[in-house]
Amino acid sequence: MSIIQQVSNATLNDNWRTINIDLLDPESSSNFDTSTLHPAFAPVDDNEIRTTGQQVRQLLRGGDAEGALRGALESAPYGGSDGVKEIHLQTVTEVLQSIKASEMTPMLQRIFRTEGGSDALDVLMKYLYKGMASSSTSTRSSRNALSPHETGGFSQMGGRPGAANESSGAAMSVLLSWHEKVVDVAGLGSVGRCMTDWRKV
Amino acid sequence: MAAPEVHHLFHHPIADHSFSADKQTLAVARDTSVELYGRTGNGFKLKDELKGHDKTVTSVDIAIDSGRIVTCSQDRNALVWEPSPTGYKPTLVLLRINRAATFVRWSPSETKFAVGSGARVIAICYFEEENDWWVSKHIKKPIRSTITTVAWHPNSVLLAAGSTDAHARVFSSFIKGVDARPDPGVWGERLPFNTVCGEYLNNSAGWVHAVSFSPSGDALAFAAHDSSITVVYPNGADQPPRAVVSVSTQLLPFMSLIWNGEAEIIAGGYDCEAYRFKGNEGGWQLTGSLESKGGPGAGQAQEESAFNMFKQMDLKGKTKDDTQLKTVHQNTISTIRVYEGSNGAVRKFSTSGVDGRIVIWNT
Repeated sequence: MSIIQQVSNATLNDNWRTINIDLLDPESSSNFDTSTLHPAFAPVDDNEIRTTGQQVRQLLRGGDAEGALRGALESAPYGGSDGVKEIHLQTVTEVLQSIKASEMTPMLQRIFRTEGGSDALDVLMKYLYKGMASSSTSTRSSRNALSPHETGGFSQMGGRPGAANESSGAAMSVLLSWHEKVVDVAGLGSVGRCMTDWRKV
Repeated sequence: MAAPEVHHLFHHPIADHSFSADKQTLAVARDTSVELYGRTGNGFKLKDELKGHDKTVTSVDIAIDSGRIVTCSQDRNALVWEPSPTGYKPTLVLLRINRAATFVRWSPSETKFAVGSGARVIAICYFEEENDWWVSKHIKKPIRSTITTVAWHPNSVLLAAGSTDAHARVFSSFIKGVDARPDPGVWGERLPFNTVCGEYLNNSAGWVHAVSFSPSGDALAFAAHDSSITVVYPNGADQPPRAVVSVSTQLLPFMSLIWNGEAEIIAGGYDCEAYRFKGNEGGWQLTGSLESKGGPGAGQAQEESAFNMFKQMDLKGKTKDDTQLKTVHQNTISTIRVYEGSNGAVRKFSTSGVDGRIVIWNT
């Protein structure tokens, strides 16, 4: 085998077309931290978000569902860890599930008309998408974690796959009906803003 | 309000359009060439084709006084087309960029133009007499992503640029020997090349599709992919701006915007129609569409006869033809430009879009 052949074989095996050249370029945009593009968020810790959650639930128990929803949306923990965000998602989901379908649209319209209302609905939209993204996975895993306590001797009950699906299906239908109503009030713009916004919930 | 003048040129997206000063010539970026249309009576007729790019032409601009046309393309080049008795002569511009050129505009002085690009630079191009060619200087910092749009300040030194890193920025593009030293203003006092006079981001931060200075040059508006427009009122060098007003709408994002006086903005985009915003430093709001709805837009009123109804039911399984939008444009509006106006007030403006239509509107 000639040297030329060896060299060309070696270069062919290198598969240089799949090399990510951006990683080798110090000026490249992929070597750069996108979080420096926007101002940092205030950090939120575990206790803080639990207190907020309790306040929101108190409002809910007192019958002020609109206040509870607004409070929950305005205290979204942008600077929190994933765990903190998950806790707040639970709070928001609880509030959403406790509001009757007939009350949704009038309540959304009232919120939209107030100062800062369109921002609140944008946050709500983010929670709807987050809820839809996680309800299929998180409800199942939390079910599994709970099952030893719940079922006791009847271990086959906890493992029944339909149980998890039913509850996540119900949660999903709540989120979907909220989604429809938020789009009616806040428009498609709010769906777009869910995607562009740096402030992730 | 008189009805808009609609010209359906072809069934192909129009990336950008530009009218000559006398409004007799219309340049349209279509695919890899720029088509020149001449006005004949009420319509436009294809007159000439400028072929020189080998990838999609992204932007075209006709200089008002000199009649020179500048085009830029995804092939990373910009061409200046000089009018001559035998047609337009292209000159290649040395852009020195390694990604697509996305947007080009002449400065009001017409001695320079700015080319935005995917290489995270803005090339400011000017003519060098001794070498007899167009050279460029790069504005690099602190751009972190593709430049999608640029707009010139009336003084031809300041340049606004919108980027996919969600920032709208104002730079100085001062070039010694080409520009006269600008008067100090709200954007800053000393303005050497690549001075960053302002960097703006709104809360929901979509990438920026359009930027524009107000007629006085003392305010900047930008439209982003979060369906918002943001208006910035600066307050001199190194000071935080006097006011930053952001309006998020229920609509789809806006692709282009122009000012009409200091208190009105016209914007259009994915909703296929132009909207009017009104306001001042205290606040801005959407006041509505510039189109009168319900009228026969582009879709002609269908003859409502029993024969027609049964024919539709037979052909399409339904009686109403709902394949047409109610708006004049049948697809996204990509560019809005001032067509006729004086002292910053716009009487007529033109829009072009993905549907291959050019529409001239009365404000």
